[in-house]
Amino acid sequence: MALSTTVSQKKLIKRKAPRGFLKRVFKQRKPHLRLETTSDLLVHLNCLLFVHRLAEEARTNACENKCGVIKKEHVLAAAKVRSEFLFFITVALKHHLVRHLCLV
Amino acid sequence: MADSYSRDSEPTTRTLLRRVLDTADPRTPRRPRSARTDVQRALLQTPSSRRLRSQTKTTARRCSNRARSVDRLARVQASGHLEEQTPRTLLKNILLTAPESSILMPESVVKPVLAPQVVQASRRESSRGSLELQLPELEPPTTLAPGLLALGRRKQRLRLSVFQQGVDLGLPPSQEPHGNADASSLTSSLNLTFATPLQTQSVKRPGLARRPPTRRAVDVGTFLQDLRDTSLALAPPDTVLEDTQPFSQPLVGRSPSVHHSLPCCSHSGAKDVERAASRRTWSSGLGLQNNGAGKAAQLLAGNVEEVDALAMGFPNISSNISGEDGVEPLQNGVGEEAEERMEESLREVEKAAEAQGSARAEELEGHIEVTEAEGSWGAVEAKEPEGSSGDGDTSGRTASPELASSTPEFLRARRLQFLEPAPPPSTAVLPSEPPEPLSARLPPKPRIPGSRPRQDPYKTGLNHYAKLFSFYAKMPMEKKAVEMVEKCLDKYFQHLCDDLEVFAAHAGRKTVRPEDLELLMRRQGLVSEQVSLHVLVERHLPLEYRQQLVPCAFSGNTVFPAQ
Repeated sequence: MALSTTVSQKKLIKRKAPRGFLKRVFKQRKPHLRLETTSDLLVHLNCLLFVHRLAEEARTNACENKCGVIKKEHVLAAAKVRSEFLFFITVALKHHLVRHLCLV
Repeated sequence: MADSYSRDSEPTTRTLLRRVLDTADPRTPRRPRSARTDVQRALLQTPSSRRLRSQTKTTARRCSNRARSVDRLARVQASGHLEEQTPRTLLKNILLTAPESSILMPESVVKPVLAPQVVQASRRESSRGSLELQLPELEPPTTLAPGLLALGRRKQRLRLSVFQQGVDLGLPPSQEPHGNADASSLTSSLNLTFATPLQTQSVKRPGLARRPPTRRAVDVGTFLQDLRDTSLALAPPDTVLEDTQPFSQPLVGRSPSVHHSLPCCSHSGAKDVERAASRRTWSSGLGLQNNGAGKAAQLLAGNVEEVDALAMGFPNISSNISGEDGVEPLQNGVGEEAEERMEESLREVEKAAEAQGSARAEELEGHIEVTEAEGSWGAVEAKEPEGSSGDGDTSGRTASPELASSTPEFLRARRLQFLEPAPPPSTAVLPSEPPEPLSARLPPKPRIPGSRPRQDPYKTGLNHYAKLFSFYAKMPMEKKAVEMVEKCLDKYFQHLCDDLEVFAAHAGRKTVRPEDLELLMRRQGLVSEQVSLHVLVERHLPLEYRQQLVPCAFSGNTVFPAQ
């Protein structure tokens, strides 16, 4: 695994997926369910994409406020914008499940 | 030569050797000596014969004198031939020197042991009857002599004492020490050289020989008095122990079977701790502290069950340990168990403290922390800082008025004792560790399984994604913003798990599979007709993960991962 990415960042970032952490979290929340190994990586991918979108949104908010630093309220606003479709899934799932299945 | 074969006469070793020397092939230097040896033999044999007949020391002395004179003559003659250090010459020297002792001892040795010696002599003669005197033959006697010298010395001394007793009492000395003289008279004669000085001294100074031990008759009266004194000495501690057990009565009411036995041993342990901090007393001290903690718990009336369990656990351990001496691994294990239980009770106590009053809970905490400190101290040396810190905590937290209110006196005294020795080891080791390690060591045994692990690893996992957030943002972030991100991530994980559960249940499965994940991402809008999952995988995941996720064709008409 590539431990770090030296793109243009001074920080070193781990690219490794915290598979144990993800599995433990899932087990704690849903002990009656099981998580496959390959889906573990996809969960990590999902998290990455979520974080990516959230960061983009927060950066946009900070730039709009013309702040050089991302602040708490920027993040909050970004979360509110982005969390809506997260909630939307769980709330509307049971109603639209049949219809959305055809998308698969 | 005829005399040499007269076996009916006294067959002493000397005579035997004489015979051997004579019968052996004489070397050239032997010849001129043969005449002298015959003379000596004749001279010596007559005293020996006379010795047997007369059984008095005076005659023996006379014979010895005569033999000595003869020996001196022989030595003078023999010294001239010292350049020839043959075994013969050595043996001859031995024989010459022997008579001094043999004259005296054989009086007792020869007379009663005549029969066995005859047998042995015959055996020896047969063994030495070989014509040639060779070194191997000669070696056994010389080697036997030093080997059996030590044994013979003791036996000779025994015999000497027995002989003297016999002489005193007029009884013949016992035959058993002579019966086992396997080395027969040669070694005995050799050994006699060592024995005779004693005898001569004893004979010369009868006062020093058998000084009776200065014993006085046992005074029964004084003995009984001593017994009474010791019993009195023993009694007061028991009474003192019983007196200093103010809490034993309530404990007896609680659980007479287990706890009643404890206070006695625990008090003895208390006393021992005062004197010497031994390991065993730690266990008893633990039991003691446990009793105190149990009593304090009674006051709380909230954690009685837990502390009872704790107390029950400790007596079992201490009773098991008290029987053994210095079993360190066992005590280490006990100490660890004690610590764990202490931590459990401590956490439970903390909970109770929040619910109930703070003062009493703190007291119990203090008790348990002290005991925890004790347990840690007694168990492992490395845990001393924590113990000392725990003591520091108790000293800082539990003020004296709180202590005075409900703690028994001995408990306070014990805590003082522990506080006293605690600072020295803390100063000796390193008092730099703050209470943090103590609190850090509490987590290993959480009350609710998952309450504590949820904190640290969960935080580290969220930290990982928070760092990724800051990386993706490409802008400096505040600490509060990072915390905010972590909260969002927490909520995100919750929703994620719920969604996956629904999807898996919809598919009639209990295992979340990649299809469920793909559905989730499709619903999120990440995956669409233009952007497939594989594309996303390729973009954002490292190559190794891509190989596992995206099926790829390999050589040999294989596809990995298999679909």
